[in-house]
Amino acid sequence: MTWVRTKLALERLAVGETLEVTVPAGEAETNVPRSAREAGHTVTVDGTHIRIVRA
Amino acid sequence: MSDSSSRRNFFRGAFQSAARAALRPDPEPEEPPEEVVAPLLSEAEIERYSRQLVLPDWTEEAQIRLRDASVLVVGAGALAAPVALYLAGAGVGRIGLVDDDVVEISNLHRQPLHFTPDLGVPKVESAAAKLRFLNPDVIIEPYQVRLDATNALGLVEGQDLVIDCSDSFETRYAVNRACCDAGVDLIEGGAVGWSGLVMTILPRATACYRCAFPVEPEDAQSCAEAGILGPAAGVLGTLQALEALKLLSSTQPPLLDAFLSVDLVSLEFTHVSVHRRGDCSDCAG
Ligand SMILES: [Zn+2]
Repeated sequence: MTWVRTKLALERLAVGETLEVTVPAGEAETNVPRSAREAGHTVTVDGTHIRIVRA
Repeated sequence: MSDSSSRRNFFRGAFQSAARAALRPDPEPEEPPEEVVAPLLSEAEIERYSRQLVLPDWTEEAQIRLRDASVLVVGAGALAAPVALYLAGAGVGRIGLVDDDVVEISNLHRQPLHFTPDLGVPKVESAAAKLRFLNPDVIIEPYQVRLDATNALGLVEGQDLVIDCSDSFETRYAVNRACCDAGVDLIEGGAVGWSGLVMTILPRATACYRCAFPVEPEDAQSCAEAGILGPAAGVLGTLQALEALKLLSSTQPPLLDAFLSVDLVSLEFTHVSVHRRGDCSDCAG
């Protein structure tokens, strides 16, 4: 569910805008950055804090 | 339960504050917290449809297009079962069902919307009950009538899409004609014996059913005559549902100006090209 919510939040942003997400430790830590990169966004990870620039 | 819902709230809070931060790089600290973006889908909808929302091209907008759509399913039998079940599950907002039959025991092997206790019940009522259990957010409108040339236009007008799951050429031609006249998109389908077809029609833009089949084939057989296995009808109905979801969501192009011919023995899918006919009695002029 974490990635779905992130994906919907990204859809509401314009290209180039940044979404900052704090995910719970665990699966989402790897899934969210991976899915975001697969979708073509630029991702920086700092622990459970994930910055995604919408592509 | 409380653990998972508090975790959900945590995610949600994190997203909302992150979205605010992202959209407002320099927020005034004394500004009261406010919702920047109104949620277009509810939390319950996001959960219910999460496995389709996660598809890269299935956006929130696509899901909302589905929610706003009104679809008429002609027939409440073998093809209609997967069509109506998948459309209701996917969140199509309004589904009308047209059929005047009652559930018979010989239906049950191929019509998984109807169960043994439903024998004698109108098919549209039996189907509506199951679909409401599946997704209470969907409005189900049962019409216990037989669609024919006299009432077809009234039934299809105002719909976003018609899915023809009927079992006779007479009904198919009546549906096709009405959809051409009303300008309503149509997905035709049929299955008998070991073969079937699916055809998506955008009236007056792509070939219609009458363009593809100007007259009823002389050797046409019904399921009562030729027989059919449940999953054979299920494959074709499922393909109709798939085409419907592509069309309603505008996420993927359906197969147009062609019909898909399915051989259920060899499992071959063949695209058969069809062109609009200048002399088509249903869509020309
Ligand atoms: Zn035509």
